Parts: sequence; C-alpha cells; structure tokens
Amino acid sequence: MKKYIVKRILGIIPLLFVVSFLIFLFIHLVPGDPARLIAGKDADLQQINAIKHQLHLDEPLYKQYIDYMNNLFHGNLGESIKSKVPVSELIGERIVPSLELSLLSIAWAMVIGVLIGIISAIFKNRWPDNIGMITAVSGISLPNFWLGLVMIQIFSVKLGLLPTGGIETWKGYLMPSIALGAGIMAMIARFTRSSLVQTLKEDFIRTGRSRGYSGLTIVFGHALRSSLIPVVTVAGLQFGFLLGGSIVVETVFSFPGMGRLLINSIQMRDYPVVQAELMLFSFEFILVNLIVDLLYGFLNPKIRYD
Amino acid sequence: MIRSKKIMGAFLIVLLALVLTACSTTRSSSDSGGAASSDKKDKDINIAVNQDFTTLDPHNVSDTLSISATHAIYEGLVGFDKDMKIQPVLATDYKISDDGLTYTFHLRKNVKFQDGSSFNAEAVKANFDRIQSSKDALIASHYLQYLKSVKIVDDHTIQLILNQPFSAMLNKLTMVEMISPKALKDQGDKIGMHPVGTGPFEFVKWNQGESLILKKNPNYWDKGYPKVDQITYKSVPENGSRVDMLKTGEADFIYPLPEQSVQALKTQNDITVDQTTSNIVRYVTLNTNKKPFNDKKVRQAMNYALDKNAYIKVVKSGFGSELDSTMAPSTQFYSKQKVYNYDLSKAKELMKEAGYAKGFTAEIWGDTDSATMKGMQFIQQQMARINIKLKIKAMEQGTLSDAINTPKSPDDAKVQMWYVSWSPSSGDADGATRGLFSSAAFPPNGSNTAYYKNGEVDKLIDKANQTTDVEKQKSMYATIQKDIYNDAPWLFLGVDTNLSAHVNKLKGVYVLPDGSIQVKEAELQ
Repeated sequence: MKKYIVKRILGIIPLLFVVSFLIFLFIHLVPGDPARLIAGKDADLQQINAIKHQLHLDEPLYKQYIDYMNNLFHGNLGESIKSKVPVSELIGERIVPSLELSLLSIAWAMVIGVLIGIISAIFKNRWPDNIGMITAVSGISLPNFWLGLVMIQIFSVKLGLLPTGGIETWKGYLMPSIALGAGIMAMIARFTRSSLVQTLKEDFIRTGRSRGYSGLTIVFGHALRSSLIPVVTVAGLQFGFLLGGSIVVETVFSFPGMGRLLINSIQMRDYPVVQAELMLFSFEFILVNLIVDLLYGFLNPKIRYD
Repeated sequence: MIRSKKIMGAFLIVLLALVLTACSTTRSSSDSGGAASSDKKDKDINIAVNQDFTTLDPHNVSDTLSISATHAIYEGLVGFDKDMKIQPVLATDYKISDDGLTYTFHLRKNVKFQDGSSFNAEAVKANFDRIQSSKDALIASHYLQYLKSVKIVDDHTIQLILNQPFSAMLNKLTMVEMISPKALKDQGDKIGMHPVGTGPFEFVKWNQGESLILKKNPNYWDKGYPKVDQITYKSVPENGSRVDMLKTGEADFIYPLPEQSVQALKTQNDITVDQTTSNIVRYVTLNTNKKPFNDKKVRQAMNYALDKNAYIKVVKSGFGSELDSTMAPSTQFYSKQKVYNYDLSKAKELMKEAGYAKGFTAEIWGDTDSATMKGMQFIQQQMARINIKLKIKAMEQGTLSDAINTPKSPDDAKVQMWYVSWSPSSGDADGATRGLFSSAAFPPNGSNTAYYKNGEVDKLIDKANQTTDVEKQKSMYATIQKDIYNDAPWLFLGVDTNLSAHVNKLKGVYVLPDGSIQVKEAELQ
C-alpha cells in the first residue's frame, strides 16, 4: 500500500512535465497577441513591439519555454502580464474561496445525494423513490445560473436574508454552494440508487437476508459500502471540476473564484496566469484521482494495489 | 411493511442530523474564509461595477474601469470636468507659446502626495521621465509621443517642450497622472498594487476579483472634499445581480445599468436612473480596398438601407442617438453632418447604378458577446433588403484581433465588415480620427480597418495637429468629418448612452462620456 502511494506520487512528476509542455504549447498557439491586447486600441505598431520586447514575447518559443521551466523549478510562477501582480498572489487570493466553496458543495451534495439514493433504492418504484428521483432529475435539469438568479430574487431581494454576492461573510457561500451542488447531488443520488439496487440483488445479500439480518443491517452493514465505488468515482470527478471554478456561478454571485480568473486571463492572453492555473488544475485532478483510487481499496478490500 | 416504516423513520432522523452537520460545516468554513465583514458606516459608499480592475498604475492603464479608480487616487496637471472640458487640476494655470511648442505650467502649492511627500516640479519631471524612459513600453508613452523634453523652471513651474505642435496635447495630459516619486522608487513596477497619488481618495485594499477599497484622503488640497469616508468598488459581472444590489442596499451606485432594467428601476421611489451621453460610437467598417466595398455608391447605399432609429430601438433598447458624424457630439471639434436617412428606394437605386442590383454576399465580423451578436443580426436583416447576404462571423476578442492585425499588407486583409465601437480615451479629435481614418493607420499599425485612404483627409489630419489656431483646427476637422462622412467608409450607426443608477441619498457620483466614474464630489444626504 505504502509502496503504491509512493509510486503514484513519483509518477506525478513526469506527468506534470508533459502537462506543462502541452499547456505552454497550447496557450502560445492559440491566436491572440497579449502585447496588443494590453496596449489597448490606441497603440501603434512601435508601442506594441516595445511591449512585446519588454515581456520577452519576441524571443523564440523554445527560449520562452526554457525560461518558464527555469522559473518554475525555482518556485517562481512569474507575474501577470497585465497587472504585474505575482501569479502566486493572484491565485492565492482566489484558491482559498474556491476550495472552500468546492468542499462545501461536494460535502452537502454527497450527503444528501447518497441519502436520497439509499431511500430510493430501498423503496424502489414506490413513492419515496419517485420523490427522490424527481428531486434528482430536477437537480440535473435546472441550469445552475437559473437556480442562482431565482435564489437571489427570493433570499436577497424579497427576504433580505442573504447577500446577493461577494464573500464578506460566510453567508456569501450558501447560495453559490447550493447552485453548484444541486446537479452533483442529483447525479450522486442516481448513481447510488442504481448501484445499490444492483448490489441488493447479489447472492451475498440474499444469504444475509436468509440468515435473518434486518434490512438496515443489510443495507448499511453489507450492501452500501461496495455500492459506493461508482459513486466515489463520480464524486471525485465532479470535485475536480469544482476546484477549477465555475464561471457561471462565480459570475452570478460575484464570487472571486478560480473560474473567473481563468476566463479573464485567457481573454487577455495573460500567459503566466493561464499557465499556472492550468498546471494547478492538472495537479488537483491527478491528486483527486489518486485519492479516489485509494478509497476504492477502503470500500472494497478485495481491490489490491500491488 | 412495518420494517420499511422503521427504516424510513431512521432515515429521516439521519437526514436531519446530516443537514444540521452540513449547516455547521458552513459556519466553520466561513470562519476560515477570512474576509472581514465590512461594517458599512454612515459615510461609506459602495459602487458596483461590471468588471475586475486590472491595474492601478495610471501610466499603464487602458481599460476605462481601472481609469475610474486611478482618477480617484491620482490627479494630472489638467483634467476633465463633467462635460469633458479641460480644467487645471494640479496646475493652477498654463500657457502655450505662440509656436505651440512650449507648454508652461504653474503648479499648485502646498499639495502633498498621500505618503506625505511634496508635490513640486521635481515630482512632475520624475513622472514624465518614467514614462519616456520606458521606451514605449508604458501605455502612457503613447500620449507623449511628441514630447521632447521637460524643463524645471523653478520649484513650482515646469515647461514641456514638444518636437512639433500637437493640438491634442492638453487632452493627452489629462491621462498623465502624477505618482509620488518616493512611492515609484520604493515600489517600481509594483506601483499598480500600491498606488500613491494626490487625489481625493487613498488606497486601502484591493481584493483581486472582488473589491477595491479606497478611503478619504484627509490632507486633500481641495478643502471640503471628499465628503464621504470610504468607497468600496465591487466587481459584479452579472447584470441582474448589480441591479439587485441596488435594490437590497448593498450598492449605492451601479454602472453600467443594463438597458432592460431601466423601466423597472424607474418605478422605485428611492432610486434614480441617470442617462448621460457618451463618446462611444458604434459602426461597421467597410473594407474600401476590397470589392464591392471599393465602390462609394455601394457604401452609401448600405448607409441608406440601414434604419438607424430602428437600430437604436432594437439593439440599444431605445437608449442612444444616431451617429451623425465620424465622432460623438461630446468629442472635441465635432461637427454634425447630413445623415443618410433611411431610404430604401434610394439605396436600391444606388446599388443598381453600381451594378449590384442583385446584391452580393459578404462576411460581417464581431465579438462573441450577446449585445454584439444582436447588433450583427440586426444589420444582417437590414442589408438583406438590398439583397446583400451577410454571413455573421463572431470571434473571441484575441482571435478577432489576430485576424485583423496579422495581414502584412492591405491586399492580404480578409476583413470585409467589422461591427465595432470606438471611444477616444482623451476626448480629442485627433484620437477620434487619426487611428481610424489616416492611411498611416492601416492594421497592424492602427485601427483603420476600413482601409480608408483619402489624400486630402490625410493631409488635413497632419495639418490640424500642427496648427496652433483653434478656429483653424475647428474648420479643418469640420472638413475632415464632412469628407469622411460623404465617402462612407463606415456604416454609421449610433452613439451610446451611458446608463447608471444610484440611491437617492447619494449625490455627486457621475459617469463621464468616456465611461469613467467620477467620485470626487460624492456626498451622502
């Protein structure tokens, strides 16, 4: 087990190397000239070239890549082309709120989703199941920006309970996390239900029942754990996406998260910021995947890691 | 059956417990959220804007929103009043020599930067030196392209010496704001995050992507100002959310106000909607170097075929006015032209004369945002009436900019029609003309995407710049506007209206024609 973890962590390094190269190439191949976008509409060619020179954008691409990697190895992510703010600072200010929002969203979505899934599985095709699945379908079908706007109308404008946006207090996290988590909750509910329904048909469950175990013991003691494997996979994947930020929800709630930073930097072709953010997302995804893989073993001890 | 009821009961209890835990998770996560809850006091105001600030370095700023903030923190030797007339600010008065080459400024005395250092001729020179020594890499160097040298006459008098007369010099100087030389030395390039100027408000905190907080400069030279203690600018990109914040009291002033919300807000007693004319002009460039747009009759026909009033009604929700020149009425030396009034039969006749009775197909380019898409669809529908079939090609701004600027020569250019807008950042006629209509400004060297070339206009643009006689300049720019409007290198569409809204108790915050927000006179009643 330990060996496996060490091996996986060591494997991240070459992977990130490849990722960094692809990201660099991809960003620089996308049309758009940061110097021109920064210089603004009044600028003439002379000024654009001066800005290019100052940002070393006039150097050959391979040299820019070497400089970038060199800086990266020295722990220097560079500074934003546009604002001259160090990238670490720009991302640092956004990642904490984004992380908190992601954790909160996935936490409630997991809890409620799994619960609805269990209830639906046990009461398959009866009214609790129907209610649960209607909730799930609604959660998936309601667009999150719509849900966000409706919540603002009710809780901020009409009732005056919550701020329309921003994160000055903890209240600012509530509505965004509901908007973000609703779809995930629904997805988890459906996965839990179908997986649990399958498991409840298995032989070992029938054996358990014939031995006279109660329904609760069977579901929680035997069936649920192994049913959660697909659920954890989905939740892990969704959590990875959440960490990347959601442009729509961040926009509706003026939430200072990673998604808006990324889209603004892409629009301005702010290479250092885009590079650092994409590297971070890749890293987060790799890490979440590793954790999911380790959870498999916990959920089903038959899964071995050697 | 009984068993399943028991299970249900157990589930409900667990569910309740979990919901409660989830709520308490929320609480604890907010603690680590760290954002100090801002207790808004009586004399604090909140302004909700639609974008994020990009920099607070006044010499390297190009977006209007950031300029709003630099205008609150910094001041220039001269500045604009509400109607974009030039006023002395850090200078008490100025004199321009007869040959138009020497500008002498007498500086305001007893002015201190927010860090306590003195504002004097030395400080002014340090600012000009910074811009000039950047060798064009700072955006402000564009404003000083004709500046030869800066001479300190005495502690409170400074002279700017130009290479050639430049009629828009004072307008350009409104964009050159003074940074504390001490802060410049300490911060270097990082001045954009730690701004220090002489303005009415000083910097407190900038939460990237969220808010910018400024507080009253207690030692401000213009006694009696500012009248509020703190300003918090909040970045609220979603249109509806900005309006909601005004309703809930989270914001005292919002800009821009979405057109579709105007009617709803007008019924609210405690909120006032402001409409001010802007200097933002909307148009479509027609590539005069390419068939069939090289034919003036075709271009004029297109202008006649487009119903400008319908454009304002449909695309601008009724807010705006028709573009009756090459620049907006609030721009220096504007001169009204005879508009191409909507006349379909005249348009058809001109198309026939040009040999295009059956029309042609062409591409119209534009940005991907919904407002631009709406505009392009409207133009597409209007042009179809004279058998011009337009294909809409929406591109993201960086891609679009590349598509416009990559061609090395006018003949390589792919652009046919481009739906776009322009606003001269310093409100001067040169800024509204040279980069758009001078043949020296073909892309990639400028924004003349109509590839408009008129020898007479070229000559006049240069001549007007170098003349020192204001009346002569005025008449030259009148000729320029007349010639261009007649040549019709654009589909002339409209001039935007700036829409903002504020709670009634707030006075003195307004939007200038260039779209920047002025806060010096802000007052709560």
